[in-house]
Amino acid sequence: MPLTNLLCGLLETGVNQLHQLDSSAVSKRKQLNGTIIAASLKELKLPLYFIISEQQVDVLNKFEGEPDCTIKVSFQALNKLQDNRQLTQLIKSGELEVDGDIQLVQQFAMLLTDMQIDWEEHLSQKVGDVIAHKFFQHAKKAVQTTQTQYKRIEKQSSLYLTEEVKVAPSALEVAYFSDQVSRLESDTEQLLNKINNKLEKQLNDLSQSKVLADKK
Amino acid sequence: MQENPDNTTHFGFKTVEEDKKVELVADVFHSVAAKYDIMNDVLSMGIHRIWKRFTIDCSGVRQGQKVLDLAGGTGDLTAKFSRIVGTKGEVVLADINDSMLKVGRTKLRDMGIEGNVSYVQANAEELPFPDNHFDLITIAFGLRNVTDKDKALASIYRVLKPGGRLLVLEFSKPVYTPVEKFYDFYSFNILPKLGKLIANDSESYQYLAESIRMHPDQDTLKEMMNNVGFEGTEYFNLSAGIVALHRGYKY
Ligand SMILES: C[S@@+](CC[C@H](N)C(=O)[O-])C[C@H]1O[C@@H](n2cnc3c(N)ncnc32)[C@H](O)[C@@H]1O
Repeated sequence: MPLTNLLCGLLETGVNQLHQLDSSAVSKRKQLNGTIIAASLKELKLPLYFIISEQQVDVLNKFEGEPDCTIKVSFQALNKLQDNRQLTQLIKSGELEVDGDIQLVQQFAMLLTDMQIDWEEHLSQKVGDVIAHKFFQHAKKAVQTTQTQYKRIEKQSSLYLTEEVKVAPSALEVAYFSDQVSRLESDTEQLLNKINNKLEKQLNDLSQSKVLADKK
Repeated sequence: MQENPDNTTHFGFKTVEEDKKVELVADVFHSVAAKYDIMNDVLSMGIHRIWKRFTIDCSGVRQGQKVLDLAGGTGDLTAKFSRIVGTKGEVVLADINDSMLKVGRTKLRDMGIEGNVSYVQANAEELPFPDNHFDLITIAFGLRNVTDKDKALASIYRVLKPGGRLLVLEFSKPVYTPVEKFYDFYSFNILPKLGKLIANDSESYQYLAESIRMHPDQDTLKEMMNNVGFEGTEYFNLSAGIVALHRGYKY
């Protein structure tokens, strides 16, 4: 029990800390003020209750009252919740179950996922403009380097898989293989044709010799 | 159970006259009020937040209900309840000590909590509320400071609505001996020193440690609750019984 309490506590602190940085959070919470939403992941069966007030979001794992809206969602569908057009799709496919006002679901999803945080601005308040700017330049660079590195690794690992351990075939090998397959296909077709012709011919011969025999 | 023939009661390990205990306890909380929240986090290593979360889980509180946070101090529970009961509900933060109440009120106002909370200076033994008034009453880390606990419990029972519940969150008796040993060491050696270091007040924290030891254990408190009329009484040990949450219903 206290473990889930800890979990709720961490989640609650996390969300509210982020909200403090998010310039849009206050107005979003105002819209939802007094709303209680029960949400659970289909995989987990652990309901969480989000109590939204102007001041903050409270997260409980037990609530005996009546929530305004109950949501059950599968883990993969979580990040699709934001998108208006996908909601009905998700409901149809069964990835999302809603008991209550669908508009609440959307506002709620926006509240938790669509945060507008200007990290550079917040950091500059702590350490000054210049350092913040430098930091973000470096960070951007770091992200870029990671991305190129990642691509390199991706390429190298595919080389490794194809050449070194030969778990996966190379592109050439695949092409050669599919050539062989289509060759086999046409060969088979030819063979089938030949057999067909032969059979027909034999049938013809047979019937002709029958006619001749009858005439005799 | 605190009634002695010669009208004395415990103040920590010291025995003092009953009407003096109220004053002495008041002194303790006057002197710790300002640093109370920080001390709570430091001394319990933040775990008191988990204990309070568990308390809220067990409260069953809903929109529109009336809640009394007794001995509410700086109002941790009040803040949560205020948001849960919403605009149609009502939370009363009651404490015997006006320094604690003031700190609580300022803190909650700064958090933006207003409208459904009121602040009442009151002694748990003689609650100034009508009969059958509250859906829920909590007393967190408060009962052990009360002089006449039976009287306080009876007074709580009176102002609770039928169907309502009482939650008592309080230090209790650890269920494992090693835990108890460590805990004793912590409360008598480390706690007062930390108190001196942070709040420059080792005496108050010495009192804290002693009052914890003098508090009735789990089963005794359960009995005491039953004696004043509570039903379905049960308790949950938290952190190996360092703290226990007692819950009782009035039917
Ligand atoms: C340790 S604090 C607990 C505060 C808060 N409930 C919490 O959990 O953080 C104990 C409080 O009990 C109050 N108190 C002590 N004796 C009391 C009594 N007889 N009636 C009401 N409150 C009392 C004190 O003033 C103090 O604020």
